[in-house]
Amino acid sequence: MRWPWQKEESDLEREIRYHLETLADGFEKQGMSRAEALKQARKEFGGVEGVREQCRDESRWSWLVHVGQDLRFGWRMMLKTPSVTLAAVGTLALGIGATTAILSLADAVLWRTLAVPAPEQLSEILWTAKERPREVVRSSSGSAFPENGLMVADFFSADGYRAMRDAGAPKAIVAAHIGGRQASFSYAGTVSVAHVRGVTGNFFPMLQVRPFVGRLLGDRDDEPGSGLVAVVTHRFWGKFLNADPAAVGTPITLNNLSYTIAGVLPPDFVGIALGDGADVYTTIQQNPEFLSPEGWYRQAQNEPLSWWMQVLARRNPGVSEQELAAVLAPSFSASWIASPKSEARTPHLRLNEASRGLGRLRRSWGDPVWMLLGLVAMVLLISCANIANLLLARAVEREKEAALRVSLGCGAGRLMRQFFTESLLLAAIGGLLSVAVALGLGQLMESLLPHGSDSMRLSLVLDVRSLLGAGGITLCTALLFGLYPAWRTARVNAAPALKEGSGSAGSMSKSRWAPAKLLVLVQVSLGVLLVTAAIVFTTRLNDIVSRDPGFERRHSLMFDVRPGEMGYKAERLKQFYVEVETRLASLAGVQAVGLSWTRPMLGAGFWDDVETPGNTKRVPSAIHHANAAFLDALGVPLVAGRPVTLQESRALVNVAIVDETIAQSLGNGSPLGMRVRVGDIDHEVVGVARKARYAEMVQSPAVVYIPFRYDRQAASVLVRTAMPPMAAFGAIRQAMKEIDKDMPLVDVFTMEQQISRTLQRERLFAWLCGSFGVLALVLCAVGIYGLMSHTTARRTGEIGIRMALGASRRVVLDQVLREGLALAVAGLVLGVPLALYAAKIATAQRLLPEGAMPYWPLGVALGLLSLSALFAVLAPALRASSVDPMQALRQG
Amino acid sequence: MAKKSDLLQGTLDLLVLKTLAQEPLHGYAIAQRILISSRQVLEVQQGSLYPALHRLERKDLVSSEWREGDNGRMAKVYALTAAGKRQLAAELEEWSRYTSAIGWVLEG
Repeated sequence: MRWPWQKEESDLEREIRYHLETLADGFEKQGMSRAEALKQARKEFGGVEGVREQCRDESRWSWLVHVGQDLRFGWRMMLKTPSVTLAAVGTLALGIGATTAILSLADAVLWRTLAVPAPEQLSEILWTAKERPREVVRSSSGSAFPENGLMVADFFSADGYRAMRDAGAPKAIVAAHIGGRQASFSYAGTVSVAHVRGVTGNFFPMLQVRPFVGRLLGDRDDEPGSGLVAVVTHRFWGKFLNADPAAVGTPITLNNLSYTIAGVLPPDFVGIALGDGADVYTTIQQNPEFLSPEGWYRQAQNEPLSWWMQVLARRNPGVSEQELAAVLAPSFSASWIASPKSEARTPHLRLNEASRGLGRLRRSWGDPVWMLLGLVAMVLLISCANIANLLLARAVEREKEAALRVSLGCGAGRLMRQFFTESLLLAAIGGLLSVAVALGLGQLMESLLPHGSDSMRLSLVLDVRSLLGAGGITLCTALLFGLYPAWRTARVNAAPALKEGSGSAGSMSKSRWAPAKLLVLVQVSLGVLLVTAAIVFTTRLNDIVSRDPGFERRHSLMFDVRPGEMGYKAERLKQFYVEVETRLASLAGVQAVGLSWTRPMLGAGFWDDVETPGNTKRVPSAIHHANAAFLDALGVPLVAGRPVTLQESRALVNVAIVDETIAQSLGNGSPLGMRVRVGDIDHEVVGVARKARYAEMVQSPAVVYIPFRYDRQAASVLVRTAMPPMAAFGAIRQAMKEIDKDMPLVDVFTMEQQISRTLQRERLFAWLCGSFGVLALVLCAVGIYGLMSHTTARRTGEIGIRMALGASRRVVLDQVLREGLALAVAGLVLGVPLALYAAKIATAQRLLPEGAMPYWPLGVALGLLSLSALFAVLAPALRASSVDPMQALRQG
Repeated sequence: MAKKSDLLQGTLDLLVLKTLAQEPLHGYAIAQRILISSRQVLEVQQGSLYPALHRLERKDLVSSEWREGDNGRMAKVYALTAAGKRQLAAELEEWSRYTSAIGWVLEG
């Protein structure tokens, strides 16, 4: 391959040779020998090399050659001051990288729209009411959350959905789905669990998703009697179906029912909500949960008082949300079978913009992510200040060089280009490294989001837009401050700059360093905020993690079993559970085997208001269905009464154990013998358990333990061991294999692991804040070091004179230290109100607990920053004080 | 380099353009033609012709192609472009204004 400029070069060669030879031909005719003639021709022609050089300058490609020269020169200049270069490149890489990673997180959580055509047409249909409308909703499946004193809910009855679908038809496609629940699946020998979401036939047509392989679900799948079919996500297909297109058409077993795989969803479709975990989609009627004979949906499907469908709509082009709501509202209220007692209990439709998917997770992640964005913006600011400072310092050093070049005839444009190229080179290297930093940080974030079948899946994609955004800002800084020396020299008369040695005292005008000092001030004050935040959030996480949950947490492990989905029915189910209880309990090293509906520390469970007969007060509690040995397995002791016996537990006698919180709120005296109503059934209180954080570490709700039902489809097994829990797991797994070799053990975790799984948000936040704090500490130190080492370097001559006049090393050392530390302290003082203000905002956003201002972390942050500032100033100060006066004066 | 030979450059460019206005020529022939046309007065330093030609080519005032020369060797032959013709006309006018102005001064 020949480049255009190479062709030009050889053309020039040929052209000149032609000229010389033609000229020589003439001389040869006059009688000269060929050699003589050529020599004469050359003489006549003039300097061949010179001509070539001149032609090259006229070439179209001369600029490229110059860029090459500039780059080579820039590279040499960078190598000449490796510490400055390293600091600048490192700062760039860290600043841009961190910002890119957080922008990617923010994009995934806050901004990314669903990978469907025209996502802005999507609306999530919800309703709001001041109080739960008991007249029209008796039981429900879905989610409800409070917002500004209103209850916002996402569930509708089948009648309600159908009424809205038909009424909305002229203006929108209205589709429904039911939550992605776990089901056991087996495919070609693989047995595991998958999230299965049920959707109406018009769901995928509504989303306008195209199949990757095969077909997606359609209206015909909704018809009764059609064969069981399932659609899988691209991720599931790759992980469990070996990404084999031939898997389409083959059977997959979900909860012991055989489905045909109809198709695969495209890779960019990751669900309809942030962190959507759905792996498999079926129609609602064919959903394994729905088909289960004892399942709740079975009874609920045609019961107008059971609301269980979630509704998503795509508005036709040009139809606004208000218009659609106006059409849907009358049909919605017409579908109720009773009229609500009061206005407060009347549901009102609400349409939520759903271009970015359903907002459930965004509500809990949104605020922390915004805060992270704020913090990383400060990191970027500090980085920019650092770059500016480093380049500014170098610029001042290179003023003399620039002046020399100007006086030798270098045009201002050429000079600008040289400095521009150097900055660009620096920025390019930093930018490349920043990709590595961003990838690393992205990996850290992903590793902090624990993996398990029930955890959220956040697809963090390193976004080119984020990279460009962060890179652009830093690049501008680098270019701006990189061009500063050229700009100065173009303005300044070259002669004085040349005359001034590096050390003349007069050159240290205050104004020249004012911008650099200001930058360091800003840096240090932002550093105070970042380091304080880092300390606050990491200690808070540590505090939560090490909180006493009210039970011994190092010696238990848990896993889920789903016998109901493996074909076990009523009596066999009970046999299975009893066998698990007895077989595992007989193992060496196992102390107790608990069975429960939901595992502890899952962050959720069954929540209900518990009431006592003859008492109007209702106590909001977590209801925990557990077997007799559960409290032993959990490690929660009783403070009064007796435990539930094995006989009571297996015979389903309505007894309950309440925890201390309820015991207190139930009134004076012992609650033993009292009756509590859970659901519609009264339970006799036989014991009081010590208060325990059983649901999550952050809150501790009141708990009522009632007997585990042995006909339950699935259960969580909690095993207390005498040895480290994973050491006992081998024997436990073997025993489970002996009971049923095909039974998958789902989500095996020790209690410690389970606890940390509930804290993913806090942990991610703490880790990121912590790393920002460390970054800020380092960058501030680099900034101060850069400034001080350059001021002292420029003042070598002055220091030399002073030392020659009798100043001691001590005096010089003191002076430099004082100057540097004064700057740092000023920055610290400015940072204090900044940090306190930020703490106020964080408290308002509920990222920090109410009341306590972070005074001691602020103190620690100030201490750390002062210490790093001291180290940063010490090196240049020592260098200044060890100046040899003779040497300095000679150089000056 | 560029600034030192401003006057010569300007004149040389004009001479080259004028010479090429009659027919396309290669570098050697242009030098010969100038020498003959000026009645042996203006002897162009032959080497300096080429930077001028390349400059004119970069400005798209002349175009070039490789053709077989008289002696059987390949020669790079330059021709005036439309822009070159316009430039020549403009420079000729400028030149005549300049010379007559000098003339008036010297005669007056």
